[in-house]
Amino acid sequence: MKLPSTNHKLEPLSPREKIAHLFSRLAFGPRPGDVERVLKSGISAWLDEQLQVKASTNPDLRERLSEFETIDLSVADCSEFIAQNRADRGATEEEKKAAKRLKRLPMGELMQAVALRAVLSERQASEVMVDFWRNHFNVSFTKGDRIYSQINDYEREVIRGNVWRDFPTMLRDSATHPAMLNYLDNHLSRSPPSKQELKEIERRAKRKTGSETQAAEAVTLATQRGLNENYARELLELHTLGVDNYYSQDDVVAVAKVLTGWTFDGGRKGSHEYKFDNSMHVEGDFRVLGKRIREDETGDNGQGRQLLDILGKHKGTSEFIAMKMVRYLVSDVPAEKLVKDVANVYRKTDGDFVAMVREIVGSDEFYSRANYRNKFKTPYEFIVSALRITSAEITSLRGLENYLKDMGQPIYHCDDPTGYYDVAEAWLDPGVMALRWQFARDLVGGKIRGVKVGDAFYQQVPTDASPRLWQHHLTNMVLPGGAGQRTRAALTTITTEYLEKSRTPDFYKAAPNLAGLLLGSPEFQQQ
Amino acid sequence: MTDNKKFTTSRRRFLQGLGAASVVSQVPAFGSTLPLSETAPTVIRANGQKSIVCIFLRGAADGLNMIVPYGDSSYEGHRPTMAMDLDDGLIKLDSTFALHPALAPLEPLYRNKRFAPIICAGSTHRTRSHFDAQDWMEFAAPGNRTMREGWLNRYLTSTKTESSATFRAMAIQELLPRSLRGAFPVLAVPSNATNKKSNDNLDIFERFYGDSGGMLEGGEMVNRDRENDEAGVVESGRMTIETLRRFQEIVGKAPKRRDRNETVSGSAYSSSRFSRGLEQIAKVLKAGEGLEVAGIDYGGWDDHTGEGGVEGKMATRMSDFAQSLSAFCSDLGQDLDNTTIMVMTEFGRTVRENGNTGTDHGHGSTMFVIGGEVNGGKIHGDWTGLAKKDLYQGRDLAVTTDFRNVYHSVLKNHFGFKSPQEFFPDFRPSEIKSLY
Repeated sequence: MKLPSTNHKLEPLSPREKIAHLFSRLAFGPRPGDVERVLKSGISAWLDEQLQVKASTNPDLRERLSEFETIDLSVADCSEFIAQNRADRGATEEEKKAAKRLKRLPMGELMQAVALRAVLSERQASEVMVDFWRNHFNVSFTKGDRIYSQINDYEREVIRGNVWRDFPTMLRDSATHPAMLNYLDNHLSRSPPSKQELKEIERRAKRKTGSETQAAEAVTLATQRGLNENYARELLELHTLGVDNYYSQDDVVAVAKVLTGWTFDGGRKGSHEYKFDNSMHVEGDFRVLGKRIREDETGDNGQGRQLLDILGKHKGTSEFIAMKMVRYLVSDVPAEKLVKDVANVYRKTDGDFVAMVREIVGSDEFYSRANYRNKFKTPYEFIVSALRITSAEITSLRGLENYLKDMGQPIYHCDDPTGYYDVAEAWLDPGVMALRWQFARDLVGGKIRGVKVGDAFYQQVPTDASPRLWQHHLTNMVLPGGAGQRTRAALTTITTEYLEKSRTPDFYKAAPNLAGLLLGSPEFQQQ
Repeated sequence: MTDNKKFTTSRRRFLQGLGAASVVSQVPAFGSTLPLSETAPTVIRANGQKSIVCIFLRGAADGLNMIVPYGDSSYEGHRPTMAMDLDDGLIKLDSTFALHPALAPLEPLYRNKRFAPIICAGSTHRTRSHFDAQDWMEFAAPGNRTMREGWLNRYLTSTKTESSATFRAMAIQELLPRSLRGAFPVLAVPSNATNKKSNDNLDIFERFYGDSGGMLEGGEMVNRDRENDEAGVVESGRMTIETLRRFQEIVGKAPKRRDRNETVSGSAYSSSRFSRGLEQIAKVLKAGEGLEVAGIDYGGWDDHTGEGGVEGKMATRMSDFAQSLSAFCSDLGQDLDNTTIMVMTEFGRTVRENGNTGTDHGHGSTMFVIGGEVNGGKIHGDWTGLAKKDLYQGRDLAVTTDFRNVYHSVLKNHFGFKSPQEFFPDFRPSEIKSLY
């Protein structure tokens, strides 16, 4: 019995399996009929269409998105939206509540829009890569306050807008976006006050308050202001080179100094946009990663831009980004050769995303049997793929928020600058399966507000299908990539039991239960 | 050290040996202040299994508003609207410290020397980020971004034996606290784990994940045996089924509450998530199935606004916290002798109140160690005082007791576990004197 199972590991994927695989990695799973469609039209045509720089959205999705008030707002407009709806001093409790609700509206709308696009968009490869970059350049609503007005713009301009451009561009745009500077505290990072400045602060405080102690306190407070290494460290560790790769603690401090003054105009009357504040900037030339970066004599942000250029061109960046992309699209344990190849493409094309993704999905490694359905879906991928494969009818996706929260992956709420992990290790806590099973059964049972698996899905099964084959049809629908022996056997038993129990078998009574079990099966947890 | 099989097969002999002392000496856990109900189970956890219950207060709880330094001459000046004194109902512990009135349910534990507050405790790392501080406290590795194993999981891993009980550790929440994350499999029990729907799920999905399913005949549509590809998921699913069932068995076996607000031992849990979680943990502990480590979170302590003094958001929360914890201890009864409860938070808050009757992110805070063996009834840790010159960075409470020394002392005294070198990366722990 061992031998055939070892052999089939070497067997190449069948054409159908290849397409199922492609849809599970470069899409959030297929929708009904997708695999058959691409079987006819061919993989390369699908890829060409998906990897186009210009993304068009399907009309039904566009219509739904048009209902949102805030997702197209700039940071400034979104800040204005929230400010206008701020409760006044004398506001009643009710008014305060309404204001709070409106402050959170951009967040709620963005979370919904993200999920809607993932489920409904025909531009699936874009959606999958947007999710990748969203986590790579993570920002989070858990930061609170001003971040509420910043992330909508960030998602649209930095992530989505650059998804088929190139890494150096996305890096630069993230580094100059208020959401990132705020999330990682760079907007507060500044040169510590000089002795002269401290004297000035003390003098002013004394004049203002007339108290020696208060003046002394103002000085103490001022001395606490200074360099904040948070963004500098994550820029090297998480965004470009990878932890402890090519850089040292001295580099972190130097990068922090170079980036002082990269802030945003956040005052009530400010523009809310990125700005370079030379008065916060630490003057001087700095040595970073063995290179001297000179002060921008024009008093602008040239020094920081030089730094980002160096990082964007760095060998370590090409390796780290290649590794992460391969890990995300191919395997938790990325194959060294493929990573090397993709890093080479990065260096040849200046980090061109289309070229890198093509290199990955065109490789033999990508379609190897060993990588077939060998990656555990994150909770988000599990939920989105379940809605897609069942062609769920959606009135609202708010009902999903609690499921995502319970499973530990609410959208844009990853406090950790690492973003949500894409490897099984982070998600396969014993116990999580109970939550997935409940979700699967709630989905087909119509227990999730705003989401329903409609008759259209079940009508894919021919009306004249023999009841003994119901489970067979449903398996092919939910698991177009095939099901293992255990799952097929269990489903057959359950169908048989049902048929024996009921005198007049009703397909519409039996099918949701069977579909729910398939969504909870081991095969469906994998991509 | 937790040979469950041995305990069940030779329990009698075991009891006659090691555990006998604690069975015979029926010292009431709380003296006369919290008498055990007459209906309390007379059999204590028969195998004498020692356990740690680790409670994490997320959001950085204000230690100064829990163990209140009313006797410090600078206290009132820092907190003009929030400060309290004995007239406000503070419960005097000594000439400097008092228990916040909302923590009154914990007073009997203190008087009975089972409750040891440690002041000026926490991490010496300067971070004021919730995320980093929580992570690092739970990984017991401040500043270290490569350590991804929780300190309690490391303990479980390094004491693992072939015959380890399957139910050594659990958390009553959907995802594990980081302290329990890691190589040793720990069950996260979702809050809905004991409802009927969930039982049905276990039964039906056992056919897809359990052992029997794969052996069944009738594979006319089988195309390939793909077991290996899904091995990790199948294993996790199987473990979910096994342990959740075991959990339900244990919880189901436990005597039922007589009414909503009363346990069998007469202590009152509340309806809060935390309280219900503790009640579940108590059931499992009392069942004597070899549970060594339980984790539970209590969130919402980030009191930037409306924290208050005698009254306020924090007082309300503390009141539920204290009532639940007291109910838990009373529910455990004699089992408290075998249990150490640890309460911690990622960092403290500013000594000065801010403009919104709240406090901002600070440095040192307070830890609690509670249990039968603990040397309670006195304040532990060195007090640095609240004079401005003595504050950390001129604004926050200093840290004089590193949280890792508390971990080390608990593991050593309670479990007899001497942490091997590098158990705490780049840190050589020292024992806290007279904590046990």
